[in-house]
Amino acid sequence: MPFGLSRRGTVWIAGLIVAANGFFPAVWILLTSLKTETELIRAPITYLPEAATLDNYATAFTAQPILRFMWNSFVVASLSTALCVLVSALAAYALTRLRLPHRNLIMSVLLAIAMFPLISLMVPLFKVMRELGLLNTYLALILPYAVLSMPVCTLVMASFFQDIPPDLEAAAMVDGCSRVGALFRVIIPLSAPGVFTAAILAFVNAWDEFLLALTMMNRVNMRTLSVGITLYQGEFAFPWPLISAALIIAIVPICILIALFQERVVGGLTQGGVKG
Amino acid sequence: MSEVTLKQVVKAYGRNQVIHGIDLAIGSGEFVVFVGPSGCGKSTLLRMIAGLEEITAGEIAIGGTVVNDMPPRSRDIAMVFQDYALYPHKTVYENMAFGLRLRKAPDAEIRARVGEAAGILQIEHLLERKPRELSGGQRQRVAMGRAIVRKPKAFLFDEPLSNLDALLRAEMRVEIKKLHQKLGNTVVYVTHDQVEAMTLADRIVVLQAGNLIQYDTPDGIYNRPAAQFVAGFTGSPPMNFLPASMGEGGRTIRLPGGVDLPVPARRVAECARHAGREIVFGLRPEHIGIARDGDASHAVVPGRVMLVEPLGSDTLGLVRLGAADGAGEMTGRFAPDAGIRVGQGVPIGLAIDHFHLFDKTTGVAIRGADW
Repeated sequence: MPFGLSRRGTVWIAGLIVAANGFFPAVWILLTSLKTETELIRAPITYLPEAATLDNYATAFTAQPILRFMWNSFVVASLSTALCVLVSALAAYALTRLRLPHRNLIMSVLLAIAMFPLISLMVPLFKVMRELGLLNTYLALILPYAVLSMPVCTLVMASFFQDIPPDLEAAAMVDGCSRVGALFRVIIPLSAPGVFTAAILAFVNAWDEFLLALTMMNRVNMRTLSVGITLYQGEFAFPWPLISAALIIAIVPICILIALFQERVVGGLTQGGVKG
Repeated sequence: MSEVTLKQVVKAYGRNQVIHGIDLAIGSGEFVVFVGPSGCGKSTLLRMIAGLEEITAGEIAIGGTVVNDMPPRSRDIAMVFQDYALYPHKTVYENMAFGLRLRKAPDAEIRARVGEAAGILQIEHLLERKPRELSGGQRQRVAMGRAIVRKPKAFLFDEPLSNLDALLRAEMRVEIKKLHQKLGNTVVYVTHDQVEAMTLADRIVVLQAGNLIQYDTPDGIYNRPAAQFVAGFTGSPPMNFLPASMGEGGRTIRLPGGVDLPVPARRVAECARHAGREIVFGLRPEHIGIARDGDASHAVVPGRVMLVEPLGSDTLGLVRLGAADGAGEMTGRFAPDAGIRVGQGVPIGLAIDHFHLFDKTTGVAIRGADW
């Protein structure tokens, strides 16, 4: 081991670096949100706020319709997640259970689609939505978000479905289920960690997405959180503490979501790859 | 009315045909076992009856209704799987109730039927447990319970005992037989274990490479095998086979080393048609013994004991036949007090009436008109 560290020690240090790298920005934003603007620009910088204040939070709720942004984000993220999980589950089922010709080719194409840079799809998507008259509607984001998360969700769920013995489904079909019935009554409940993992991935992707949200929604009351937060900056003003407070408000729902499903998601992210 | 009928049933995956036109009539209340080596198509055939595999050609009828295009749920069958296939997320009670719930049975009826089935299988104390908390034997009982609560037209068993240890397997075999005697449903049972097939079946279907070789009672399969494959598949130890040729006029069987055996008079006519041809001579171990003086029912051949395996109830002895030891080796089943020893030379008696003769190229049995 380098520097005479034990294996355990190395693992701990690596873990701390990863955790710090992830947590530092969040903690910094949290601390900033509690400072006044004057304190923020003062030199030398203060790490902990000298006089912590919640004023920024109060302003965040009044300066912009942040609750409306949050509602928009919530609607778009949850509906796109539901659509994505539903379609991906059916696709994953077909890929793992049916005798499909060129199954591996389809899997590879899915993987390739997942690697498309979003920016390359932006202009065509915008044109399609404009022609369909969907700009400034939830559908303009729900549809692309659902589709963009589908490859990853399909692959995650397929890896879970693969581990479920086909006889379980046969048993369900003999017992009285249709094929789709067996999928929803037996396979999906048994792959709950995989379905949760896929759902969380899709939800977080939709919640965080900026570029499409900026392009498709130009009315203030249709903005999602990620775009809405940029509205706190003025032409010449850059109120960092206020923006930080809005960011913290945006992060909280996701944190609650992850905390609620943490065990299942961690189980999900590690389980699919390793056959137990 | 729960007979199962197959007419010219074919299964092909693309160009690869795996079941080659099978005709079969299973009577109502009959216990029929599909047996054969792995890859013979027995499970595929069962899954076709269940509706889990589509049939490529032919017709399957259950209880007089053609079910070719019916999904499994509409065929009124229940199935027990090799790996039990219990729903891991449901309790034993919910596993058994699942099929009834899907059919929208009232709660009171579900409780009554699950209770009744649990009573028959002695699993009442397990109803609140999850499958992972059960032993292999208990899981097997639950799987059977799930099948019997539905009161289907036919039960399909797909190698249900192959995951159990030998002792438990013997126990469950008895349970299944008792269950069939009690319920009297039609049963189609797949196994690769000839003991299971012989002990359970009213009739046995022997399959080889997607073809039906013989459909007969256990007695018929054992004593009148239609082909060398069937003869070699049943019995433990299995039938002995030696290469042979048919003598002039079909009156003698010539073994290697110049040993001639007589053909029973009633079989000469059939054997005459094979005169001069190469054949396979077969004899079960229990029809080989130490020759007794003046016993006309046995052909006497000099032999030498090569190996002795005492089993307690009887002793297996590998004997080399022929004066110059040239006829080949056969395993015989001897009485434990026969006192055979390795290296001993003994006159061996072969029961003439139990000779099995097979065509060398086709493997088909050469039979007289009487059997």
